[in-house]
Amino acid sequence: MRQGLPDWLKTALPQTAAAPATIARTAREQVETLGLPGLRDEEWRWTNIRAIQRGNFSAPAGVGADIEPAIRLPLDNPLRLRFIDGVFQGVPNDAPEGLTLTALADADEATRQAAFSPKPAPSVENPNDALVTLNTAMAREGVVIDVAANATIERPIVIEWLDGATESVMSHPRVLVRLGQSAKATVVEHIETVGDQPAWRNSVIVSTIAANAALTHIALGLDGASRLATERSFASLERDARYHSYNVQLGGQMIRREYDIHVGGSGAHTDLIGLMMPRGKQVLDTHTRITHAAADTTSNEHYRTIADDAGRGIFKGRILIEEDAQRIEAYQSSNNLILSDNAEIDAKPELEIYADDVSCSHGATIGRLDQEALFYLRTRGVPLAEARGLLIAGFAQEVIDEIPLVELRDWLSIRLEERLGEQDLAGHETE
Amino acid sequence: MALLEIKNLHAEIDGKEILKGINLSINAGEVHAIMGPNGSGKSTLCHVLGGRDGYEVTQGTITFDGHDLLEMETEERAVAGMLLGFQHPVEIPGVKNIYLLKEALNAKREAQGLDEIDTFTFMKQVRELVASMDMDDAFLHRGVNAGFSGGEKKRNEILQMLLLEPKLALLDETDSGLDIDALKVVSEGINRMRGEERGIILVTHYQRLLNYVEPDFVHVLYKGKIIKSGDKTLAHRLEAEGYQEILEEAS
Repeated sequence: MRQGLPDWLKTALPQTAAAPATIARTAREQVETLGLPGLRDEEWRWTNIRAIQRGNFSAPAGVGADIEPAIRLPLDNPLRLRFIDGVFQGVPNDAPEGLTLTALADADEATRQAAFSPKPAPSVENPNDALVTLNTAMAREGVVIDVAANATIERPIVIEWLDGATESVMSHPRVLVRLGQSAKATVVEHIETVGDQPAWRNSVIVSTIAANAALTHIALGLDGASRLATERSFASLERDARYHSYNVQLGGQMIRREYDIHVGGSGAHTDLIGLMMPRGKQVLDTHTRITHAAADTTSNEHYRTIADDAGRGIFKGRILIEEDAQRIEAYQSSNNLILSDNAEIDAKPELEIYADDVSCSHGATIGRLDQEALFYLRTRGVPLAEARGLLIAGFAQEVIDEIPLVELRDWLSIRLEERLGEQDLAGHETE
Repeated sequence: MALLEIKNLHAEIDGKEILKGINLSINAGEVHAIMGPNGSGKSTLCHVLGGRDGYEVTQGTITFDGHDLLEMETEERAVAGMLLGFQHPVEIPGVKNIYLLKEALNAKREAQGLDEIDTFTFMKQVRELVASMDMDDAFLHRGVNAGFSGGEKKRNEILQMLLLEPKLALLDETDSGLDIDALKVVSEGINRMRGEERGIILVTHYQRLLNYVEPDFVHVLYKGKIIKSGDKTLAHRLEAEGYQEILEEAS
């Protein structure tokens, strides 16, 4: 028996939403029955979202536009799309040729239809989809990023999610990214909590990547102890399209991030690369689902988690290969490091293969720091705490090294080093 | 005073006694070879000297350069000048060689009260050593031993020694897994380390390495004890006659 929506959420359902009327109406009806997911739902059994259920959040009343992120990413001439507590702050007026940025509220009906019709379509029966349906019912804010066919946008397009500026605010923004044939673009999510107020963002990004186009999508969950976020990214790929995803989660109280990648045209390829580093009482969770719906497609997935203190890391990676999708190569690895007795990591690969000509592999490891490596470093004179720091940073670095923007890579390495400097790395050995 | 003085050393792992009363004295300027069949305690001796967790010394003393070695942490032994060359150097992907070399050198300098080395001097020195070990500069930016062949790993061990200039170099089965070319390069490296200031211990199963690095003393380790010591001719006898003869003679 499902609980239905909590009252505070029910009363917050808006009269008008950004979704086309019929989609919004259906979503509204569905969420009233679906409610919020809970521990009884298979997909949520490791991730307690009580903090959201009991959150009593309200929609933002509108905040001042003078809020700036505390963190400056080292990006070259970025185009900033700023959301403060989910409220879109407007499109920049210097978009380069080939790029069109439109506030969701100003988009035409067909565009809004696309923004609210991701592939694969969220299922009414699946409680896992309750949050995306809720977003559909609630979304009023958002942005549409259109890259014209054959255009290459060199400037990174940065979506700034600045959460927690006002008290107990929730937001349900929706973003549509469309790449025309042979287009290229990089979208960076800069995720930061700007105040110390609890906040919940339930955001959805829908990307469609036309033939031979390539989208690089980098998500950086940065500081902010009080952030609650449920984030969903859809990407559908046509023939020879590329979707490269990098997901780095360092901050937040409870972050659930989900990827649905529909590899739907032959020759298409996706990379899903991720690093999560929960500490304190953080819960950092990523679920990925890759659907190989066309023959001759490939995917490469590599996730790492490093859990310290009483932190929890969760990774679930599903790969579905449809019946007619032959000659698929799909690789997944999930390597996890536990630094303290109270930390926990749950890692689950899930392969569903209906085709017969498939090369598919997965591997998950969970362990502590390699004692042999630690001893080796110490025999070179490196003190224990520093040796631990080197190994942890090295473990993370292998993921960071895959990020294609070199300035971002270097910046993240330094940030990681600083972060490890704050942690007590000396006293955990219990060999 | 000897550089390394081991007296009546007994050590066990998981309650099982492996070293059963080792006595050994090594002076600066000397090269000692410790030979013995598999399971004689060679690796255990190296691990005990390195300070590896899990090995318990139940009796005896080890004095290194005037310090009570058993009171020192692994990293303290290293910065005091004892360097352990591994039989199986550990692969550490994600930590670059160049970074480890710099950390190690600066840790030693700090212990000596010196400032951190400046990058220019450091790089110059490292590049010269890399070339002398017949290695490629690119190796510096790869992960420590990550994906290295057996020969590359051993060269890397010697490279670290040449940079860190230990007072005592303890080389555990450094010749294992080397082809003849790599063996020559590694041996040349070891010979370059020989000097009045430095003691070298070669722990090895076979005599092969000793054709290239001539020891001053050879010790035979068997069942946790040194049962025979001699000069380099002892190694030749082991090669010609095998361990059995010597073991019988000693008993």
